[in-house]
Amino acid sequence: MSLTGLEAGQTVFTSAFAVTRADLVAYADASGDQNPIHQDEAAAKAAGLPDVIAHGMYTMGLVSRAVLEWSRSAEIDATLTDFSARFAKPVVVPADGGAEVVVEGKIRKLDATSVELAMTVTSGGEKVLAPARATLVAK
Amino acid sequence: MPPTEPVVITADAVTRFAQALGLDDDGTVPPTFLISLTLPAAERLIDDPDFGLDWSRVLHREQRFAYHRELRAGEAVTCASTIESIKSVAGNDLLALRTDVAVVEDGTVGDGPAAEVWTTLFVAGDTA
Repeated sequence: MSLTGLEAGQTVFTSAFAVTRADLVAYADASGDQNPIHQDEAAAKAAGLPDVIAHGMYTMGLVSRAVLEWSRSAEIDATLTDFSARFAKPVVVPADGGAEVVVEGKIRKLDATSVELAMTVTSGGEKVLAPARATLVAK
Repeated sequence: MPPTEPVVITADAVTRFAQALGLDDDGTVPPTFLISLTLPAAERLIDDPDFGLDWSRVLHREQRFAYHRELRAGEAVTCASTIESIKSVAGNDLLALRTDVAVVEDGTVGDGPAAEVWTTLFVAGDTA
């Protein structure tokens, strides 16, 4: 599949990711961001949060995963050239059961050589990123 | 602020970052990997005692990456951070940072950044 098979406005993927406290610890270790609000309930509450929250960059990382998995499955041979997000609401991750992050990707703009995706990212029914965008340019 | 000393993007760091996000570990640098280099680089700017930022009041507000060329594990990069703007909004501050990430080859910094990384931090003001 090439970019020519796509249409502006089209929803091209919906991906759901389970997020647990253990995932946040692994991300903290991998990224070096050891802020305790992402691991420790008492620290999160002391900062005025309802519970432990995911790193915004963890959520953005899951969005990158959704985009890469889509481009691979659609056999689009393209390079990510721009990727942005605004962190609107925290992803709250309770110890029991964790959270779910749902990423829906839509085609915002399209031309012969590039595609811009707009992602709607929700957790617990709330928009957590507003907006997230990614531009892919055909190789 | 002058650029950081060259930092090697190790295969091990790339693998751990990819695994933490459930990405395929194919040797390419994950799209958000550079945050693990650019935030520490920008912290040098922010930790300046004359600037004085209390991290317990900081929230990540916006993030953008522009990639000018693909980075590979094993490459060395330098990070040059600047404060693009500081805006006060209702007693809180919005701090916009940009870090240029440039590849270093044979001790020479490449022409132009391989990536530009923008981070906006929200810094809560004193609640009187």
